[in-house]
Amino acid sequence: MIVGASMGGLRAAESLRRSGFDGQINLIGAEPHLPYNRPPLSKDLLAKDKTLADIAFPIHHGELQANFVLGNRVETLNLEESHVELSSGAKYQFDYLVAATGLRSRQMSFPNNLGRGRYSLRTYDDARSLRDSLAPGKRVVILGAGFIGLELAATLRTLGCLIDVVAVEAIPLAAILGNEFGDEVRRRHVNEGVRFHLERSIVDLIGTREVEGVLLSDGTELPCEILIEAVGSLPNIEWLSGNEIELSNGVLTDQTLRVMSESGTSYQHVFAIGDIARFPYSTRSLPARRIEHWNIPIESAKWVGRQISHHEKPGSVLEFKQGERFNPLPSFWSDQFSVSILSYGEPTLADECLLIEGELGNEFIMGYRRAGELVGVAGIGMRREVNKLRGEIRL
Amino acid sequence: MIRVYVDLSKCQHYGQCVFEAPNIFKLNDEDKLEYAATADDSELLNVREAIDVCPMQAIKLVD
Ligand SMILES: Cc1cc2nc3c(=O)[nH]c(=O)nc-3n(C[C@H](O)[C@H](O)[C@H](O)COP(=O)(O)OP(=O)(O)OC[C@H]3O[C@@H](n4cnc5c(N)ncnc54)[C@H](O)[C@@H]3O)c2cc1C
Ligand code: SF4
Repeated sequence: MIVGASMGGLRAAESLRRSGFDGQINLIGAEPHLPYNRPPLSKDLLAKDKTLADIAFPIHHGELQANFVLGNRVETLNLEESHVELSSGAKYQFDYLVAATGLRSRQMSFPNNLGRGRYSLRTYDDARSLRDSLAPGKRVVILGAGFIGLELAATLRTLGCLIDVVAVEAIPLAAILGNEFGDEVRRRHVNEGVRFHLERSIVDLIGTREVEGVLLSDGTELPCEILIEAVGSLPNIEWLSGNEIELSNGVLTDQTLRVMSESGTSYQHVFAIGDIARFPYSTRSLPARRIEHWNIPIESAKWVGRQISHHEKPGSVLEFKQGERFNPLPSFWSDQFSVSILSYGEPTLADECLLIEGELGNEFIMGYRRAGELVGVAGIGMRREVNKLRGEIRL
Repeated sequence: MIRVYVDLSKCQHYGQCVFEAPNIFKLNDEDKLEYAATADDSELLNVREAIDVCPMQAIKLVD
């Protein structure tokens, strides 16, 4: 039983089959669509006239032999009796459970809490409704200057919209990639005509029936037709509650991605993967963390498929070693105007950040060190060099 | 023999495929992707991994 039919869920099913699992696979998904790729939603999909078919993952149904139940959410999990109940009322028994329900966009609440003219971006349907409202010359306020906020700023600016970005931080991305890197990204956005309102927040909306503007914490009023909230996301964990599963900030797992209870024991048949999984470091004594990067659903899904096949038929999965720990190298990319960022590792762990190659203002690579060890790299351009440094990262 | 196709209009040259199937894919001096259009059957699993990790869904196996 795989709950969440997005990239993580699909890759888990594929991994199960590739590692020899021959039982039944059910994939339950709240969205009405078969799994598709999310990154283009903030990039190509808004910019070009693309459809769901362009971003859908290819699925070999003959090989996968999986039962997709779409447009249905799992409402409750009963771990004691090993079943889940869907919004349709249907109940499914399971031997193994994989939680892959990812995240949803965080929504703000304002005194004048208008609904029309407000958007967020997590799903294809979100992207469609945003795209339908766009036109050159439209005034768009984006709240949040994280990766999704900045990508949206770039994509919509390229489409001819007028963009104001509002964010509480002084330098975009500084908390993730450091001040110099963040400043460099901001500068390139400003060159393209994006306006920033940093160290500010939106305290209220202006308008009667739909959003006509926003009021900032410093008293500024910004007129706009479209407000996009890109202020991070929340894990979809509600369906797991009531089972003594440790659910603070995602689903806590052990080193093998088995879900853990509040009292610190692992459930042998229950796994979490992708954006929702909060997994421990395999070599560092730091708190477990979630990683919202595209390669984590892939790697964690592959791992869990093999774990389950191995549990079913010990010895059947050749490449799997006993005592092995899940230890992925996070990788991340982002496209904003002509800026393409490529990053490996976990720059947020660093206590020191230094320019490794190139020069700010042009193409460059920053290295991130913790106690002298390289824990991450990130570059604008210079991909081949960034890729070379990948092997030197110690996590 | 397997046949590999990369839609270079989709490819953003991140080189993720290079790590999965280094015998097939590489980034050249200009950071652009180059690949071998045909390969030995023994590369099939690597190419499938490369297909999975390509962020742009640009790689295909052709029959
Ligand atoms: C706009 C956007 C751009 C991105 N760009 C990049 C990028 O450039 N680079 C990068 O590295 N990463 C990027 N990411 C992140 C990447 O897409 C995610 O890491 C990845 O989608 C996570 O996959 P997942 O399967 O864990 O979760 P999700 O893709 O979130 O899938 C979870 C699925 O579970 C469903 N679900 C939730 N609750 C239930 C329930 N109770 N019952 C049944 N189904 C349920 C949801 O509807 C959803 O379909 C981007 C994400 C977004 C949204
Ligand atoms: S992984 Fe995909 S996008 Fe990246 S270089 Fe290879 S084919 Fe191109």
